[in-house]
Amino acid sequence: MGPDRHRLPNPLGRSALRALMSLAVLVTMLASLPLFGGLINGGTWWIQAAVFMAVVALVSAVYRWYVNDSVAVPFLQLFAVVLLYTPMYAPGTAALGVLPTLETLRRTVDLIEQGLGTIASGSPPVSPTEGLTLIVALLFVVFAMTADFLAVTARCPGMVGGLLLTLLSVPLFVDDAGLPWVPTAICAVGFLTLLALDTWVRNREWGALIPSAGGPVSRVSGVVGGTGVVAAVVVLALVPALLLPLTMSSLRTDAFHALVGDRRLGGASDTVTTTHPLVSLRRDLAATSDRTVLTYRTDDEDPEYLRTFVLDGFDGENWTMTPVRTGRDNALDDPLPRPPGREWGPNEEVVTTRITPASGTPSMDFLPLPYPSVSVEVDGDWYVDPATLMVFTTDTPVEGEEFVVLSARNRPGAEALSSAGPPGTSLDDHLALPGGLDGRVGELTASLVEGAGSDYEKALTLQDFFTDGSFTYDLAPPPVPTGSDPLAHFLFDDRTGYCEQYAGAMAVMARQAGIPSRVAVGYTAGSPDGGNRWTVSARDAHAWPELYFEGSGWVRFEPTPAAPEDGQGTASRPDYSSEGDSADEEASPSPSSDPEESASPEATPSSPETDGATASGSDGTERDDASGTSGSTPPAWLPAVGVALAALFLLCAPLLSRALIRRSRRASVGSGGVSSAHSAWREVRDTCLDLGTAWNLEESPRATARRLGASLPEPSEPARAALWRLALAEETARYAPEPHTVQSSGVDLDTVVTALTATVPPGRRWRALLIPLSLLPRRRSGPGDEPAPAPL
Amino acid sequence: MSLDTRHDEHEGGLREDLGAVSAVADRIREAIETVIEGKPDVLRVLLTVLLAEGHLLIEDVPGVGKTMLAKALGRAVDCSVQRVQFTPDLLPGDITGVSVYHQDRNEFEFAPGPVFANIVLGDEINRASPKTQSALLECMAERQVSVDGRTHELERPFMVVATQNPSDMEGTYSLPEAQRDRFMARISVGYPSPQAELDMIDSHGSRSPLENLSPVTDAARIRDLVERVRHVHVAPGMRRYVVDLVNATRTSPELRLGASPRATLHLVRAARAHAALNGRHYVVPDDVQTLAVPVLAHRLLPGPEARMERLTAEQIVAEIVSRLAVPGPR
Repeated sequence: MGPDRHRLPNPLGRSALRALMSLAVLVTMLASLPLFGGLINGGTWWIQAAVFMAVVALVSAVYRWYVNDSVAVPFLQLFAVVLLYTPMYAPGTAALGVLPTLETLRRTVDLIEQGLGTIASGSPPVSPTEGLTLIVALLFVVFAMTADFLAVTARCPGMVGGLLLTLLSVPLFVDDAGLPWVPTAICAVGFLTLLALDTWVRNREWGALIPSAGGPVSRVSGVVGGTGVVAAVVVLALVPALLLPLTMSSLRTDAFHALVGDRRLGGASDTVTTTHPLVSLRRDLAATSDRTVLTYRTDDEDPEYLRTFVLDGFDGENWTMTPVRTGRDNALDDPLPRPPGREWGPNEEVVTTRITPASGTPSMDFLPLPYPSVSVEVDGDWYVDPATLMVFTTDTPVEGEEFVVLSARNRPGAEALSSAGPPGTSLDDHLALPGGLDGRVGELTASLVEGAGSDYEKALTLQDFFTDGSFTYDLAPPPVPTGSDPLAHFLFDDRTGYCEQYAGAMAVMARQAGIPSRVAVGYTAGSPDGGNRWTVSARDAHAWPELYFEGSGWVRFEPTPAAPEDGQGTASRPDYSSEGDSADEEASPSPSSDPEESASPEATPSSPETDGATASGSDGTERDDASGTSGSTPPAWLPAVGVALAALFLLCAPLLSRALIRRSRRASVGSGGVSSAHSAWREVRDTCLDLGTAWNLEESPRATARRLGASLPEPSEPARAALWRLALAEETARYAPEPHTVQSSGVDLDTVVTALTATVPPGRRWRALLIPLSLLPRRRSGPGDEPAPAPL
Repeated sequence: MSLDTRHDEHEGGLREDLGAVSAVADRIREAIETVIEGKPDVLRVLLTVLLAEGHLLIEDVPGVGKTMLAKALGRAVDCSVQRVQFTPDLLPGDITGVSVYHQDRNEFEFAPGPVFANIVLGDEINRASPKTQSALLECMAERQVSVDGRTHELERPFMVVATQNPSDMEGTYSLPEAQRDRFMARISVGYPSPQAELDMIDSHGSRSPLENLSPVTDAARIRDLVERVRHVHVAPGMRRYVVDLVNATRTSPELRLGASPRATLHLVRAARAHAALNGRHYVVPDDVQTLAVPVLAHRLLPGPEARMERLTAEQIVAEIVSRLAVPGPR
């Protein structure tokens, strides 16, 4: 007489059906693996995850087959996974070949760190390192165990859909390409398979549902009602999800970001392919994380920005990078080619910068370097692009390896810039603009630079135009309306953006003003760390325009506001671009050309009064600035309202779903037939469950009606009679050959629900309303569905 | 009898027929209640077994009206009633009948025994030797008597109402399990309530109330009712419920011996009759729950643990019933 004898008998092969469900869960989870296909390189990363999931499912299936119990399943699964994991990932550390030791734990931590590093390297697809496959395998193991619990132990296979949605969201968030539709379809098919099998199993356990015996009219109305309920649920679920984000600008997706698409560079065999610089920039900016990217030591008190990429082409929407070429001619040797256009004086000083990428930072195939660099010491095969002095490699460089760069200390002076002549070599490529640009941009540029004497003055005017306070710095600018030109939208309508928009717009306008220009992407100088050490974090990622001046070469300008709150916090304006006034440029981007503005450096860029005055004065166009700036910024209370609405929605979600269920049941009551009686009786049941009144599955409907009727206070004859009618209708629907003899009526149902509700104290009524316990999963009725405890 | 029912062709008429069943049953009940008062549960089982074509075992201490109950039933239904008083020296032929040689006609003639009746009252069946007991039990199962190679059919309805004293009383041979299994149900009459006992003194004081009992129906009518009961609907879920219930007795750790497949058939038949008695043309869980103890308990043997805990088979069956979910939609 083992413990398993204290059970009611198994109905026909229940263990087998449960085991089958475990395997169905495995199929579903395996079908979700292709979702990660686009994120990881190579074709073998999934094998470990599949093996682990298979073990998890087999343990569940075998155990459920032999033991009519589920309690031990997760523990056994965990045990099996650990036994399998140790020889697979940490073979040298195991005791007796399989038992994990402390060393195994250390190895695991190392592997996970490695995997996290791979993931942090950003742009998918990432390389399938051992740590990454481990993380993927562990993720899927956890999900497979949870799915097994939900679908087989808790008998709620629908909940597995939540897990799959979580998996679906991974490529959605990580991959700019979005959801791949084929793996998504495979995943959906896997889920539907699970649901279908569950239905089949339920029918095997308890027999097929008795079809409604109503006439064609009631059937049609049933179908219409059912469709209506489904439609209502869909609307209720989708409408808030789609509308709520519109009230919160931070939730809006970035159409303006489409200004730069994910473009691969490439073509000839010796050109270099990389993720588009602005995409990784955007990712770093969007992360706004304080994660350290690199640290460096320098003997320069005011270090130059660290430049990684140069984008020298503009196609009307995006700034693009001319593919760089490898080859013997371009191999990195000492010294680097001379920076184009820069005169190399006899008393040039050099700055030594030792740059150490932080651990965990993905290896850099383009080096962040101060411009203009003179020589670079770094291990490996590196190449340099002579036109831009970008230094890059086609190998995967060693992570965290230090490199040393020498760069020119001298900055161009204002005199040299203002007296610069025309370019000595042809730089037409850097003046080229596509046709089809919004005409207003050209007019604006012309009106701005009108009267400026030199290219240098034009450049300063353009820079001031962006930093005079009429533009708003926002890392998540509102989306660009479909069909409108992002550049024009930024300049004339929205005036909200971050470095990418500022740099791009200024570079375009410089070209219109006749100054060769390009966009540089990299990092600001970062924050001083004491001594001569500086730390650059992910939020220091930046983009800025470089303008060409004969004799000085490519010169950096800074149109992006530099305030810590409303701008790029560590951005700095070079001395030469401030017209000799270098006072508090870090704190205030206000141009010194305007004495009023200088007098009040605290004026924030979004202050509407100063906006109106300076903006209309500087560009001379008719523009309603109040609507241009305040209109695009959502009121401060809006997010709070959104959060409150969301909280309210969450609080009311049980109430609403219960009300929806009650409504749909109430609608089907009175339509006649089996479903009508069942609906009414289920509503009585759920009312009891909500109110905390006992509901026994061992009681027949009439016995239940007798017990509940006795609990109703006097006088309640009508309610008792109504309850009795509902019970008889349910009884005939369940057990009689032709169930139309007694009909449930909506009036009876209402009477009974009211009477039952009146029997409990008001506190419990409120609880029943707000926390309807009937929504919880519970035992199902039907013979032998649940093992009985030991008798007596 | 199979678990299958053919109800489709006469559903409409059946419901009216079943009204007749409960009406007749009510008349019989009222008639018997003039003799035995205050025992509605006992009467209900008695009528259920009659309509389900089963046999009834009444087990109780002497003198509580076991015989009176059987006699009253025989009187209320106008049909042949025979009474056999079982004693240790009773022979099988005393029950089934014997072939007697007629010297003048030079042939054997079968002289039917007391078993040739519609209602046979076997008094104190556990006082007879097992050999004699089994002769009666064979008639119960086969509804025929074979003597000297010739088979004699028994007239329907044929119902054996056997009484027995509890087996721990003196001079008894307790019925083996296989033979108890042939009885559809077992009931105890129990002592009457004080009021019923007072009334009994009044009514029995002058003369036997049995003499005032006039028949309210006849054998042909009962045959008709039995036929109608067979068409009572048993839903698939209800069949599973019965099977699970019987199965539970087989796997219960408290029981050494569970109920047989015959018990399953008996339980379904009894549930049909019970439903018809209540004017219903379909079986509900309440029918099965009411009948589970009388129909199942006498077939079960409690295990040693249960006996140490002084659990009776009745208590174990009731416990199983209270733990089994009724069939219903999900």
